[in-house]
Amino acid sequence: MSALSFLKGAIFADEYASKKGLLQSLDPRVKTVTFLFFIIQILLTKNLFILLCLYALCLLLTLFSRINVGFFLKRTWIFIPLFSLLIAIPALFNIVTPGEPLITFTIAGLKLSITRQGLFGAALFMMRVTTSVSFAVLLSLTTRHFELLKVLRVFGIPQVFVMTLGICYRYIYLFVEIVENTYLAIKSRVGTTVHYTRGQHIVAWNIASLWNRSYQLNEAVYQAMLSRGYRGEPVLGDDFKIMAKDGLWLSFVITLSAALAYVQYYLLV
Amino acid sequence: MDKLIFELQDVYFSYLGRYPALCGVDIHIRRGERIILVGANGSGKSTLLQMLDGLIFPDRGILKAFGGELTEGRFNDDGFSKTFRKNVGLVFQNSDIQLFCPTVKEDILFGPLQLGVAKKEIQRRFDELVHVLDIAALLDRSPHQLSIGEKRKVAIASTLVIDPEVLILDEPTAGLDPLTTRHIIDLLLAANAAGKTIITATHDLHIVEELSDVVYVFSQGKRIIRHGSPQEILSDSNLLQANNLIHMHSHRHRGKTHIHPHLHIYHHEEE
Repeated sequence: MSALSFLKGAIFADEYASKKGLLQSLDPRVKTVTFLFFIIQILLTKNLFILLCLYALCLLLTLFSRINVGFFLKRTWIFIPLFSLLIAIPALFNIVTPGEPLITFTIAGLKLSITRQGLFGAALFMMRVTTSVSFAVLLSLTTRHFELLKVLRVFGIPQVFVMTLGICYRYIYLFVEIVENTYLAIKSRVGTTVHYTRGQHIVAWNIASLWNRSYQLNEAVYQAMLSRGYRGEPVLGDDFKIMAKDGLWLSFVITLSAALAYVQYYLLV
Repeated sequence: MDKLIFELQDVYFSYLGRYPALCGVDIHIRRGERIILVGANGSGKSTLLQMLDGLIFPDRGILKAFGGELTEGRFNDDGFSKTFRKNVGLVFQNSDIQLFCPTVKEDILFGPLQLGVAKKEIQRRFDELVHVLDIAALLDRSPHQLSIGEKRKVAIASTLVIDPEVLILDEPTAGLDPLTTRHIIDLLLAANAAGKTIITATHDLHIVEELSDVVYVFSQGKRIIRHGSPQEILSDSNLLQANNLIHMHSHRHRGKTHIHPHLHIYHHEEE
């Protein structure tokens, strides 16, 4: 049940996207393109100072977008160990990254050293993951999910694909609710402790039932689409508008990126 | 004959070729008429409405719309399909099926965008409907965040925005509170006064008199057992009882037990 609640909260909560903050007021297309630009910059840079500057910028943008920083840090740091820790830890040691040893110790007769090069590599990797995940999470928190889907069209994704994703987004909630209600109905009849084998049967039956319902829904929704004139090539409205504020934001991002590139290649090298 | 919009002669339909849904249905619907279909659950009303909307087609019998026979093959012609969809709009019984877009606004605009209605005209109809149905606050919300009544209003808006000549509604007031029901009835009466044909399937007998010129009663045998004016049909308690539309109701009142047919009409006469 808590997993379902987390799923509902993570996918459908648009509490922050509805707030009147800096990033929420930008055109989703401009915002997505500039955030992608930031992420590419993060991936290309080999300088920890630049990464720290970009991470600080991300936290500042969080503040200006009226997002609770504690909530934001929790949301981002949940994902970071998943993405990076398993890769970063072995890279610290001389077995994976040979170099100048900083600390040396012995485990089960095996001499291990944490090297300077290993530490730098792991720190760079962690910082890259932290900063890029933070930008990605900030984008998803400040943009309504259906707007993010519509932005895909900027990148030349066909309308039918965008519409299919939109319909999936719409109906995932319905299915999550069905699963939730089914679970409650089972709980009310059999209690919380179910024998392992019986539990497997119930889960299998649930999957089959959900599949059956989704199949029926698929046909009914298609009929509803036909009824309103759908002919296989969807026509979607476009209500995005680029304002002066978006121009200013774009100029700021370009200037900042140029400044960071200058610092990286001329001052720090 | 030019006023005839739909004509069904001895129409049969079954799901998967095994489960009969319509068994020899005859019906004639004229332009500007208000038609109500009543019948118990599973008597074939929704199937007939889908057939009138050109979504399913008879296994046997003749289905004519706007003077020509309506077959699946005719919908392969873009021009015909567009004209038919512009002329006939269906409000589904389950709003969760009808509202498939991520937001209310996109759902309302979906129909006219597919049908190539000019953008200015779409905006005019959209603004008018949002005002009439008082749904401005819902536009950016996702359909899953709406109450049943709000969903029903949005579903009706998403069909009315097409401005169809024939409006078909499947249980438009089921599960709604009295105020929302009244609002929807008024909207349908206004649409009919503007010349639209209204075809409604319902169990809700108290809306029958207001929303119909002709009432068709479906039997459990998936056929039309009787049709007539709302007064004729509603005054025939035996017919309504035999077709599960009313039931015998028992209650205690001033120390006595009363048993009478439970019919949600004529409250005023009783007073």
